Amino acid sequence: MITVQQTIDSNPVEVVDKVSKVRTPFTDMIRKFLKQKNAVVALIFILFLVFLSFFGDSLISHQINEYDYSAILLGPSKAHPFGTDEFGRDLFSRIISGTKISLAVGLSAVTVGALCGTILGLLGGYYRGIVDAIIMRFADTLFAFPGIILAIAIVAILGSGLANVVIAVAVFSTPTFARLVRGETLALRTSVFVQAARNLGASDARIIFRHILPGAIPDIIVQYTMSIGSSILTAASLSFLGMGAQPPTPEWGLMLANGRNYIMMAPHVTIFPGLAILFTVLSFNIFGDGLRDALDPKLTD
Amino acid sequence: MFRYIRRRMLGTIPTLLIVITFVFFFVRLIPGDPARLVAGEQATQADVEVVRVRLGLDKPLGMQYVAYITGLLHGDLGMSLRTKRPVTTEIAGRFGNTMKLALVTLAWSTIAGVLFGVWSGRHRGRWQDYLGMTVSVSGISIPSFWLGFLLIMLFSVKLRWLPTTGASSWKCFILPSVTLGVNIAAIIARFTRSSIIEAFKEDYVRTARAKGLKENVVTWKHAFRNSMVSVITVVGLRFGFLLGGSVVAEAVFAFPGLGTLLIESVNYRDYPAIQSLILIFSLQFLIINMVVDILYAALNPEIKFG
Repeated sequence: MITVQQTIDSNPVEVVDKVSKVRTPFTDMIRKFLKQKNAVVALIFILFLVFLSFFGDSLISHQINEYDYSAILLGPSKAHPFGTDEFGRDLFSRIISGTKISLAVGLSAVTVGALCGTILGLLGGYYRGIVDAIIMRFADTLFAFPGIILAIAIVAILGSGLANVVIAVAVFSTPTFARLVRGETLALRTSVFVQAARNLGASDARIIFRHILPGAIPDIIVQYTMSIGSSILTAASLSFLGMGAQPPTPEWGLMLANGRNYIMMAPHVTIFPGLAILFTVLSFNIFGDGLRDALDPKLTD
Repeated sequence: MFRYIRRRMLGTIPTLLIVITFVFFFVRLIPGDPARLVAGEQATQADVEVVRVRLGLDKPLGMQYVAYITGLLHGDLGMSLRTKRPVTTEIAGRFGNTMKLALVTLAWSTIAGVLFGVWSGRHRGRWQDYLGMTVSVSGISIPSFWLGFLLIMLFSVKLRWLPTTGASSWKCFILPSVTLGVNIAAIIARFTRSSIIEAFKEDYVRTARAKGLKENVVTWKHAFRNSMVSVITVVGLRFGFLLGGSVVAEAVFAFPGLGTLLIESVNYRDYPAIQSLILIFSLQFLIINMVVDILYAALNPEIKFG
């Protein structure tokens, strides 16, 4: 009865259509993502930032540390689209050149944090017991320092500088990944396919990396994207506080901090680096939101 | 319930101990000789040795640790290298300001966040929702120090309505509080929106609508009331972050709080002060999170105590 009903219902044209457009979870995800126009725009902007990171230096008209004392604190003009700073340096060129610093710091810090957190989470969730207890206690301790305080503490130990900011932000983002991956591992380790792999004699390492890790990947990707925005913001904040990049590095947070002394007569020195941070962080956050919605199986359309 | 509270309080102790241990080793992790750091770069070797004995750094690590804990229990956080006064005095003078700033900020950002989130949630998928969510994702992405400067440019430099620094009158709190709270309000708005959207799917909302209740009544008395427990949790957790997160906002306005004290101490390499401040920030955070957990348990009828 059921079979007959199904045969009648499936119209041959539709069957052909279904074959030509193979639907996999991946194409589903892409389709769902492309439907969110703001996330697509954000992605395009991110690609543009990546382009600037690689080729920006050859596109700019002024050297980033080209001092010109006859042209200090000038407002935006044709020669200097974003104006000049207190040393007469072209802000537009410096901001373009700063793109790669912010992206590199944000990406490398989150990548290190994600790798460490993922490994810790996999180990804790899979082996449980004492390993798990130690790892989770460690994560709890890192979570016991609110927000930027942990990063400041680490920079206070290691000294200021961009490399130390990367370490600080990486440590700061590790526990989030550890918790996330641990939860996923705990759920997956008792699933049927993991049981089956174990019965077939697969080693622990194979089970963890071939069977459990792929299940946790979508969550990791979403968390990864969401963390980049906040990491760029934290790194810029540390540079702003004088604990990150040192002059004359064209780092956005540092440029903004220098601009504060000229806030009365030359507000553009503060405004433009801030806009650069805002748009960069915003695009990563919107892209992350879009990815989350596209990957979340609970949100079906 | 009391058993739960007791268990939750006891559960905080191990984390607290690890945090104290971390903070204890903090000074010892810094490259170089701590006694030399305290005595100063120009001090003679003899002076350094005097300092070493005075601080008990010549004793074995275990004894130093016990001495540190005993000091903490007596409320002794050491002397500030920068001001040569007890760190407790330094902190006491600033603590009230940061607390006041955090409370004011929490109050307005909760109200704004909830109103915004509910407004977006009840118009899900329409322009109000897009507007609300665009504003809140921007609120999360905006660098707070930059926002602070924009506010100074507008309200202090152009309009001359509000002061740029200090904490002498209520007017001094407005700009730092806005700078600090925009991010919190945005997070609360996002969270409120998604929980109200979930609540709107429930049967009791459909029943309330079927009874012919006004949409406002349905939204606030039925949908929002049921998502309030989780909203309170998020607000509580944000409060913990607020106390630590005020560092940047305080720096912009040279606000005399714990955050600026921390930055001054880091710039001066005043390690006893840095150590104590990190401990205080973490302690506040742990206590607040514990209270929030207990509140959540008390408010949520689904949690059973055993």
